[in-house]
Amino acid sequence: MRIAIDHRLSVTVPQGTVQAVFHLLLTPPSGPTQTVESWSVEGTGIGNAGRFTDGFGNAAHLVNQLRPEGEITIHVRGEVTTRDTHGVLGRPAGEPVPALYRRLTELTKAPEALYEPFRDSRDNRLSICHALMARVGDVLGLPEEPEAPKQMQADGGQAQVQEAGEVAERPAAADYAHLFIGAARALDIPARYVVGYRLVDGEDGLHAWAEAFDEGLGWIGFDPHMQICPTDRYVRLAIGLDAEAAPTLRTVPVAEVVQVAKVAAA
Amino acid sequence: MGENTPFDEMYNADGSVREPYRALSEWLGEQPEKGLALMQVDAEAIFRKLGITFAVYGSEEGTEKVIPFDVIPRIIAANEWRKLSRGIEQRVKALNAFLYDIYHRQEILKAGRIPEKLILNNAAFCPQMMGLEPARGVYAHIIGVDIVRVGPDEFYVLEDNLRTPSGVSYMLEDREAMMMLAPDLFQRSKVAPVETYPENLRRTLESVAPAGAGRNPVIAVLTPGIYNSAYFEHSFLADQMGAQLCEGQDLFVDGGKVYMRTTTGPERVDVIYRRIDDDYLDPLTFRPDSMLGVPGIFDAYRAGNVTLVNAPGTGIADDKAVYTYVPEIIEFYLGEKALLNNVPTYNCTDVDQRAWVLENIGDLVVKEVHGSGGYGMMVGPTSTKAQHEEFKKKIIARPDNYIVQPTLALSTCPTHINNDVAPRHVDLRPYVLVGDEVRITPGGLTRVALKKGSLVVNSSQGGGTKDTWVLED
Amino acid sequence: MRMLGRTAQNLFWLSRYVERAENMARLLEVGYRMSLTSRREGGASEHLVSMLKAAEMDEAFAERHEVADVDTVAHFMMFDPANPSSVYSCLLAARTNARSVRTAITTDMWESMNGAWLEFSQIKPRDVRGAKLLGLLQWVRQRSHEFRGALLGTILRDDGFAFLQAGNFVERADNTARILDMKYYVLLPRSSLVGGEIDIQQWTLILRAASAHRSYGHVYHDRYKAHNIADFLILRTEMPRSLVYCAHFVRDNLNLLARLYGRREACHEAMDDLLKLVEGTNMDQIFAHGLHEFLNDFIDGNNRVTDTLSASYNFY
Repeated sequence: MRIAIDHRLSVTVPQGTVQAVFHLLLTPPSGPTQTVESWSVEGTGIGNAGRFTDGFGNAAHLVNQLRPEGEITIHVRGEVTTRDTHGVLGRPAGEPVPALYRRLTELTKAPEALYEPFRDSRDNRLSICHALMARVGDVLGLPEEPEAPKQMQADGGQAQVQEAGEVAERPAAADYAHLFIGAARALDIPARYVVGYRLVDGEDGLHAWAEAFDEGLGWIGFDPHMQICPTDRYVRLAIGLDAEAAPTLRTVPVAEVVQVAKVAAA
Repeated sequence: MGENTPFDEMYNADGSVREPYRALSEWLGEQPEKGLALMQVDAEAIFRKLGITFAVYGSEEGTEKVIPFDVIPRIIAANEWRKLSRGIEQRVKALNAFLYDIYHRQEILKAGRIPEKLILNNAAFCPQMMGLEPARGVYAHIIGVDIVRVGPDEFYVLEDNLRTPSGVSYMLEDREAMMMLAPDLFQRSKVAPVETYPENLRRTLESVAPAGAGRNPVIAVLTPGIYNSAYFEHSFLADQMGAQLCEGQDLFVDGGKVYMRTTTGPERVDVIYRRIDDDYLDPLTFRPDSMLGVPGIFDAYRAGNVTLVNAPGTGIADDKAVYTYVPEIIEFYLGEKALLNNVPTYNCTDVDQRAWVLENIGDLVVKEVHGSGGYGMMVGPTSTKAQHEEFKKKIIARPDNYIVQPTLALSTCPTHINNDVAPRHVDLRPYVLVGDEVRITPGGLTRVALKKGSLVVNSSQGGGTKDTWVLED
Repeated sequence: MRMLGRTAQNLFWLSRYVERAENMARLLEVGYRMSLTSRREGGASEHLVSMLKAAEMDEAFAERHEVADVDTVAHFMMFDPANPSSVYSCLLAARTNARSVRTAITTDMWESMNGAWLEFSQIKPRDVRGAKLLGLLQWVRQRSHEFRGALLGTILRDDGFAFLQAGNFVERADNTARILDMKYYVLLPRSSLVGGEIDIQQWTLILRAASAHRSYGHVYHDRYKAHNIADFLILRTEMPRSLVYCAHFVRDNLNLLARLYGRREACHEAMDDLLKLVEGTNMDQIFAHGLHEFLNDFIDGNNRVTDTLSASYNFY
C-alpha cells in the first residue's frame, strides 16, 4: 500500500546558543518491504547539510546553525509504497555484519527470567523469537488495555499487582523493543532496534520495534508492543543497537524536541 | 625469562664491554669527577627552561614536573635494530588489517580465531566506525610499541599503543639535550637521526588527507588544552610540523565540513591529529557531556570531509585482552609467524589458570585490563604480602578485569645515580607512523626505572628517560 | 598559516597582563615610598588606599582586610591569588596565555615569561619585607622590560606582533588614565599660584606612578605644575605612557592588521573615535570640558577598542 507521511519536529535550544549541531536520521531506505516514492527533509540549514551513511547503514544528515533563535522546525514529508512480507526484510545491502547486533548495551538489558526458558530450546530461531515477543507482551502488558491492572514482571518473574487508583504510565514501544532485543541477544540472536512509522488511525504514527536475525530468512521484524510482525502498515526509518544509537534527532546542545508524525494511506 | 640476573646491555657476564657500548664506555672513563653530575644539572635547566614539563595527576593544580633525564644514552646496534624494526612493521601492518576487518566483514571472528564476545562487547569497540573507509585503509597512523629486552637476542612486546601514544617529544628533546651536553660523544659514534620525526609525521598526515583536500592539506593538532599532561608535546609537534594547534572551541562544523576560527574567518581543515580520547571527541556522537571536543566532527569524518588521526575505535586493537591474540592476528592477516614475542599472558577467567595465578602471585605481574600509566598494577616480586593478598581478592572478584604475566627480567643500562654509574632497568617505546608507507624512527623513547631494582618505568611512578641511540653500520 | 581567533586573544592578553603586572608593581612602589615619608597621622594608610583605588582594588581589599598597612596592601597587591590584578595573578595569567600560544611566540619570549613565573612562584611572601619588597618590585619591572625586549628583538612583524602590541598599549593607556582620574582634583586649575606641600606630594605620586618624575624635568625645565603634569601624561607624544602616545601606538598596530588582512574593521572606527579625544585638543579645552569627564570618556573609548577588536578578529 501507499503511505503518506508528514512528520514535524520542533526543536528549542537553550537561549544564547552560539552553534547548534543536529544529527538527523530522517531518511527511510528503500528495500524489500518498502519503496520510497518521494521524500523531503526541510528546515533551516538542511540545504547545506553534510550527508553520509552512518555505521548502521542509515542515511544521515549533519546540520548546523549559527546563533539559532527561537524554535527550529524540521519538516519531513514523503510517500512510501509498502509490501507485506510477514515481517521478513532479508539481507539488505550496505549494512554491517549481523553479528554486530549481538553487542550488549545499557538500554537493552533483559532480566534473565525473560530469556532463560529458551536457553536450551531446540526450536528454530523464528519460533523462539515469536515466543520471546509474546513473553515481552506478557511482562510489560498490552497497550490496548491501559486501564486494566497489569502484571509487571520486569524484575524477573515476581508479579506486582498495581495498586488501585495508581495511574499506569504506559511503557513506550521503545521499552518493548529494548526488552525483546536484550533477550534475543542474551540467546546469541542478533537483534536490533528499528525506528519508523506505523499507519494507525488518529494516533501519532512514530513507532519503534525490533528486528532479529535468522540465518535462513535474514532480518525479520517483531513488534512486541503490538504483538505482531510488521505489515504493510509499517515504514522503516532507521536502525541501530538501541534507541540511543538510532534516534530520529540528536542535538548539541541538549534541546527540547517535540515531534509529531501524521501517517495516512495515500 | 624470569631468571634472576637481568641482561646488562653494556657489560658481558665476564665484565667485558659489549660492542655497541665501546665508545660510551671510553667516554665515561674520561669524564672528570662530578662531570656527569654537572651535566645532569645542565640538563635539568635545559628542560625546565624550554617548558618541557608534565602535569602530575592528583597533585595541586599547576604543579608541573620535569621528567628526570639520564645523561647516559642507551645504545642499540644496527643489526639489533633491523631485527626489531622488521618485527614492529609486521605488527603494525597486521593490527591495521585487523582493525579494517573488525569494522567491516569481521572475518577473523567468523573464523573463530578470536572470541566474538571479546570484540563485540568490548568498550573499546566502536560500532559507529562500522563500514567506514578510512584513507588508505589506515586506522592507527601513530603507534607506540612498548618493548622490553630480556637477552642479547630476546625482545618482548609488552603492549601496543594505538590510541594516542605520547612521549615522542621526549624522544626528540632528549636527543636535543644530549647533543648540547655531549657533542664529543656523538662525534665518536654514528648515530641514526631522530629529528626527521616531525617531517615524517607531517608526510604521514598529508598522505591520509580526504579525497577533496587540495595539494597542501591543512593539518591541525587537536589538544584538550594547556592543563593536559601532554600539552607540551601537542604544542611541540604542532610547532615542528608547522600545523595549527587547536582546542575544541577553535573548530566547528559547517555544512558537514570542519573549519577553524581564524582572525580572518573560517578556514577548512583536512586532517586532524587529535590528542583527545574517543569518548571526548564529539559530544554529538560520543559522551554528550564532553566540553573538549567538537560537536559533529565524527559525522564530518563519516561524510569523508576530514580525516581523524588516529581513527576512533583503534583502542580495540591495543586492548589488554586482545593483546594475547596478536600473534594469531599476525598469522591470520599476513600468513607469517610473529617476529616479536608476546609476553605469555594468563587468563584469570579460566578456572585452572586462575588457580595457578593465585598460588604463584608473588612471581607474577598483575595488570588492570583498562589501566595505564603504571596505575592499577602490581609487580609480585617487589610487592608486600599484603599487596599480594589485596590483588588476589581483586582477581577473584573480577577475573575478567585483570591480566597476569610472568615478571620479566627487564634489561639494564648504565645510569647516572648520585654521581656514580649503576645499572637500572629500562624499556623501549619506538614510534611508528603509518600512512602511504610505514616509517619507524630509529630508537624511540627509553624509560628507565631510577629506583634500584624497580621494574616500573612510568614517569608517574618515579621513572626517567634516556636518549636512545641506534648505531648505523 | 592563518591565526586562530583564540591565539590572537591569548597574545593580546598575554601582553596586557605583563603590562598590568608592571603597573601594579610601580603603583605599589609609589604607595610604599609615600607611606614611608608621610608625617601626617594616618597618612601612610591614606596613600596606600589611594593606590588601591587607582588599581581598582580598594573594594576587594576592604572585603579581605580591615587595616590598610604596608604588609596587608603589599601582600594583597603582590601575592594574593584571590586578587585578579595582583602581580601573582597577572604573571600567572600571562604565563597561562603564553603557554596556550607557545607556538605563536618566540623561544626567547617564552623563556622570559616562563622564567619570570617560575622565579616568582618560588618566592615566599613572608620573606618579602622592607628593602626586599622594593627589590622585588624592581625585579617585576625588569622582567616586564625583559619580556618586551625579547618581543621587540625576536618576533616577526606580523599579525601576532600587532595583537601583542595592541594589548600592551591598551592596558598602559587604561592605567595612565586611571592614575590621573584618581587624583584629577589635584590637577585642576586653581587660583593659588603655588602648590602647597600636599599638592607637591600628590603630584610626585602621579608622576612616579607613571615613571615620569625624572623625564618631566627634561621636557618642561620647570618645577611641578598641575597643568604641565596633566599635559605630560595626556597630550605629550614623546611621553611613552601618555594617553596620546598609547593611542597612537594602538592605532599603528590596528593599521598594521588592516594592511595585513586587507580590510578595516569595526575596531578601526572605534580607534578613530578614541583618537578624536586626544588629537587637535589642548589642556585648556580639556579642563573646560571637565578633566574627570574627559578621562572617563577616554577609558570608555579605550574599552570599546578592546571590545570591537575582540569581535572583529574572532576572539572568544
